[in-house]
Amino acid sequence: MRGKASEPGGQKTLPVAKRVLELTVNGDRYEVAVEPWTSLAQVLRDELRLTGTKVGCNEGDCGACTVLVDGRSVSSCLYLAVEAEGRDVTTIEGLAETPDTLHPLQEAFIEHGGLQCGFCTGGMLMSSAFLLSHTPEPDEGEIRRGLSGNLCRCTGYNKIVESVDAAAKRLAADEGGTA
Amino acid sequence: MSTPPIIGARIPQLGAREKVTGQAVYTDDMKLPGMLYGAILRSPHAHARIKRIDTSKARALPGVKDVVTGDDTLKVAYGNWRLVPDIQDEYVLAVDKVRYVGDEVAAVCALDADTARRACELIEVEYEVLPAVFSVEEALAEGAPTIRAEKPGNLSLTREIEYGGVDEAFTRAEYVREDTFRVPTVSHAYLEPCSALAAPDEGGRVTLWTSTQTPYIVQVLLAKTLGLPENHVRVIKPQVGGGFGGKMELRTWEFCAAFMALRTGRPVKFTLTRADELAYGRRRHAMVLRSKIGLTRDGVILAKDLDVLLDSGGYNAMGATATFLVGNFGAMLYRIPAYRYLGRYVYTNNPPASAMRGFGAPQALFAGECQLNMVAEELGIDPIELRIRNAMQAGDSVPGVATARTCGFREALEKVRDASGWVEKRARKRPGKGIGVAGCSFISGGVFNWFDTKYHFTSCEVRVFEDGTAHLLTMASDIGQGSDTVLRQILAAELGIDIHKIRLTAGDTAVTPKADLGTWGSRVTLMAGNAVLDAARKIKEMLAGVLFMEYDLNQIHDVAFAGDRVFVRAKPKRGMDFGECVYKALRGRRGEPLTAFGYYTPRDKGLVTPAFSFGAQVIEVEVDEDTGVVSVEQVHTAHDSGVPINTMAVEGQLEGSIHMGLGYALSEELITVEGRVRNATFLDYRIPAAEDMPPSASYEIVTRDPEGPYGAKEAGEGLVSPTAPAIAEAIWDAVGVRSDTLPITPQRVLEGLGKL
Amino acid sequence: MTAPLSFDVHRPRALTEALDLLDEYGATARVIAGGTDLLPKLRNGRLSPEHLVSLGRVGELDGIEETGDGALVIGAATRLFDVQRHPLVRKRLPALHHACSVMATVQIRNMGTVAGNLANGSPCADTSAPLLVYGATLEVARRDGHREIPVGAFHKGPGSVDLASGELIVAIRVPPVPAGSGSAYQRISARSRVDMAAAGVAGLVTLDGDGRVAEARIGLSAVSPTPTRCPEAESLLTGQVPDAPLLERAAREAAEEAKPIDDVRATAAYRRHVVFVMANRVLTTCVARASAGAGGGTP
Ligand SMILES: Cc1cc2nc3c(=O)[nH]c(=O)nc-3n(C[C@H](O)[C@H](O)[C@H](O)COP(=O)(O)OP(=O)(O)OC[C@H]3O[C@@H](n4cnc5c(N)ncnc54)[C@H](O)[C@@H]3O)c2cc1C
Ligand code: FES
Ligand code: FES
Repeated sequence: MRGKASEPGGQKTLPVAKRVLELTVNGDRYEVAVEPWTSLAQVLRDELRLTGTKVGCNEGDCGACTVLVDGRSVSSCLYLAVEAEGRDVTTIEGLAETPDTLHPLQEAFIEHGGLQCGFCTGGMLMSSAFLLSHTPEPDEGEIRRGLSGNLCRCTGYNKIVESVDAAAKRLAADEGGTA
Repeated sequence: MSTPPIIGARIPQLGAREKVTGQAVYTDDMKLPGMLYGAILRSPHAHARIKRIDTSKARALPGVKDVVTGDDTLKVAYGNWRLVPDIQDEYVLAVDKVRYVGDEVAAVCALDADTARRACELIEVEYEVLPAVFSVEEALAEGAPTIRAEKPGNLSLTREIEYGGVDEAFTRAEYVREDTFRVPTVSHAYLEPCSALAAPDEGGRVTLWTSTQTPYIVQVLLAKTLGLPENHVRVIKPQVGGGFGGKMELRTWEFCAAFMALRTGRPVKFTLTRADELAYGRRRHAMVLRSKIGLTRDGVILAKDLDVLLDSGGYNAMGATATFLVGNFGAMLYRIPAYRYLGRYVYTNNPPASAMRGFGAPQALFAGECQLNMVAEELGIDPIELRIRNAMQAGDSVPGVATARTCGFREALEKVRDASGWVEKRARKRPGKGIGVAGCSFISGGVFNWFDTKYHFTSCEVRVFEDGTAHLLTMASDIGQGSDTVLRQILAAELGIDIHKIRLTAGDTAVTPKADLGTWGSRVTLMAGNAVLDAARKIKEMLAGVLFMEYDLNQIHDVAFAGDRVFVRAKPKRGMDFGECVYKALRGRRGEPLTAFGYYTPRDKGLVTPAFSFGAQVIEVEVDEDTGVVSVEQVHTAHDSGVPINTMAVEGQLEGSIHMGLGYALSEELITVEGRVRNATFLDYRIPAAEDMPPSASYEIVTRDPEGPYGAKEAGEGLVSPTAPAIAEAIWDAVGVRSDTLPITPQRVLEGLGKL
Repeated sequence: MTAPLSFDVHRPRALTEALDLLDEYGATARVIAGGTDLLPKLRNGRLSPEHLVSLGRVGELDGIEETGDGALVIGAATRLFDVQRHPLVRKRLPALHHACSVMATVQIRNMGTVAGNLANGSPCADTSAPLLVYGATLEVARRDGHREIPVGAFHKGPGSVDLASGELIVAIRVPPVPAGSGSAYQRISARSRVDMAAAGVAGLVTLDGDGRVAEARIGLSAVSPTPTRCPEAESLLTGQVPDAPLLERAAREAAEEAKPIDDVRATAAYRRHVVFVMANRVLTTCVARASAGAGGGTP
């Protein structure tokens, strides 16, 4: 360790204090005190009590913790909460526009049996939402590739793929209708 | 009487909205005031004697509230097999010895999870490391170290089946072959890691929320290990993120949560990591299967001799069931007039294996179905034709073990043959492409009372109200498969009310009627479904009287329940709303609520199950001969699951099974070196992803099973078995490589091709 | 074992600020870009810096620019997903485009960066083989200076790279691909996704006016202690007509040059074999793309 590292501007390096963060999640602003190494998943679940974001591996492999940060899907278990400051976070609880409606993806997952135990479902939906945000009319291969970071042990994926396809078609039809 | 339309309907899970919005609550989502966080210290050694444990440094760490070791516990051996106390060999925390890497030695609870983990590292354990064994062959060898004193030689238990004069039958066989197959240990890999939260309750009682498939079993064994009356322990199953057999025993963290909640007076929660799950969690048994089969030259099976070594790992867990079922499935599917089975369950110092989806069938059928495909090749008979010649039929039995009262196996084989274009595809060889077949069978719930329950195998209560709604209380456990919906379908069909009018309370041992053995062995639809039928019929009896009074009916009339009405079947106009009928019955009973209990216990149904499912699968693959990579291109499945109650749920089970079978066939294996799992992450333990999953076409072969509710049989597990042998056969068809070992990795394919 | 964590995170808004912080904290600091390699290493205790300097808000490092000489400069904070989708990357650097499309998962690509992929020092890094064959250089800055390192000289051994404390990769500069070239990348793993490659092969072949190989480059990942080129195989090709037998010979040579090991993902023998197979396929694609004219679009 270099000598000067311990006293920059009179601060001591250890122990590191909690930091108060301002987070915008699903359009709501929160102030939370977190340690710099706390993951976004942990803050969402433990502090904000938005437990729809699941932790299946905490290693970036399973996708159960997927949320959108500034519209992009990320693994919130590998994303430091401090990095979310100043950005827009969307979780599964905020996918639908209003609390009493469902996003077309959510409706399609229900109708087409795109879920069983539900543990992967929030993450699947957020990845699907990201996919449709940049590829509104994906073919089957694009859907499967778009879900490459989301593992599911129950459904065998095919009904999830069908669900995303149905939602995309419905969204495209709605667009066509209103445009 | 015709089947109500809600039976066989495609009904999305009734709790689906909560799941897609993130509102569904799983154990780790819960947090209680004052809650402490638990962590477990595990053994770093595969086999060692514990000489001393010093917890003082851990206790001294600020924030630590409790530390427990085996010495703090009652030291009672426990296990699911209460029927045979001798094979209950596990302790909630190690007593004197550890028997696998990961064996639980001590537990800590603290104000936060980091502190609990750090405290674990401060516990000093002095071990005397003992020689260890890591394969069944080593464990049985002369002079092998003894893992459990009661079982010198490490043979934990054996199971034999024999009938029909096997040795004599083999002398008559014109064609005999013998092969040895090896299957690896694999993980359930449910997405939700195990989690348990306990809170002290008044009067020294305790409540446990846990991710389990078997709340009743956990309650009973928890009470035993805590030394409390059963009724002092309340177990609640919240939403569960998959189980597949991996969450059906009392586990250490459940005990420790409850134990430390009682000791500290505060709620305590344990949640496992994925690494814990993959490295130390329950798993499917690795086996070595030696199978000998004898046939006539035209392909009639005369005899089979199956010898299986099962790797138990350090403890028995559900091993006795596995050992039995492999033998049973070894004799299923075909008429095998003479059969001998020897299953040996062998202790090793690997992490313990236990129940997993298909329980014994994936292993037995990989061996059996691969071998039959080899027979077909050598006798020059088409593999589907060979199967049809020998297929079991309704009424056939495995003597002394079980009888298949309905059986759509032959129809399933014909269906997949025709639907897949089998004949043409087998005849016309295309480079790198192949097509293969395999069959399967499974149980619809076990009839063997290994838990030695004194209660019915399953029970429920139905309450009906004057507002036209009903309440179903059951201890049956929906762990994601959708049984909460299926049971409500059955109740809705019986009572003739809208399914959305049925409230459901499930899996709370203090509230839901005693008892239910849980979700395993594909038992829920048949067993819990029958209990619902029983209760519903009792309710209907109470309500029918109202119509008889109201209309002064002739004694011979029947009362119907449909469309939220209760009416005279022959004169539908004579009737009333369901709610009004309940109201009138209630008045007649001077306010005593209308409630009925329903039960089901399979009696006199052999040793295995009341009903077998059957199925056949044809799979098409493409093999890259240069890299050895196998792509599965299409799956065709025909399945006799009786009368499907919810077609969407049945398809979901089918596709989920194919996913698991696909992983078992091609990529999954817990690579275990000296008892240590080397690939304990999802990055290296490879379950198939969305892109790996082939399109799947499925066909229902409807049989009406006399024992199942509305004729239903199982759909949750049978189909996990045919995928691996069908893929193995398709690979052979494509490139001529036979693999007697799973998984068939690209490496194995290239080795088979002689390229490595 | 999960190690208790303790570090501070700094989120500078400008490159100079980031360099000041790195200078100030020296060896106790680490850069964090996507964190997809770093976080797991912090959690399992393999690294324990006291300060993380985040590139998350350094806007000037995010983006891909074309310079006057036709080079593409990929800012160190540019996410893999953006590299994958960039039209010029897709058109001119199909090997890099392909690597960025197949590696890791969508979420990880939305977080991770090319610079992080390289600086992590893993021999399996998927972008390393393509960048090797494209002759890319790393632009490295520190508070009081600046240097350039060819990708080929950057990796020192498994987990070790040529980066001193106080230094930061600012960008990856990929020079223009010579006219008449074709390039490609392939990787293999037992499962298609959420998986590290068991082997990766990139190639770049430049043809002269007569259809002979003017220059060939082959890059390997995951089969040697560091990502590596295959000089012997390359020289076999140079000056020759790239017919199928020659490509196969070169591929065999490339497999000989690999130094694979056994691990849970694959055995050394398997790795060596698939290096041959993939090198053969990659070279064939390169030649086809080179003959077809441009740098070759992606399939
Ligand atoms: C589930 C999963 C799957 C993965 N699959 C793959 C895969 O298929 N192929 C593959 O190659 N990788 C894979 N990875 C690894 C990883 O995602 C990539 O290597 C990624 O590119 C790393 O980029 P990053 O920005 O996240 O790096 P970080 O984690 O931020 O940094 C990695 C290292 O580089 C240093 N560093 C980062 N940026 C700079 C800079 N500008 N200057 C100096 N030092 C810097 C950091 O200090 C750290 O030491 C996977 C990871 C996960 C979690
Ligand atoms: S929990 Fe984040 S990817 Fe698995
Ligand atoms: S629904 Fe259970 S993991 Fe996907």
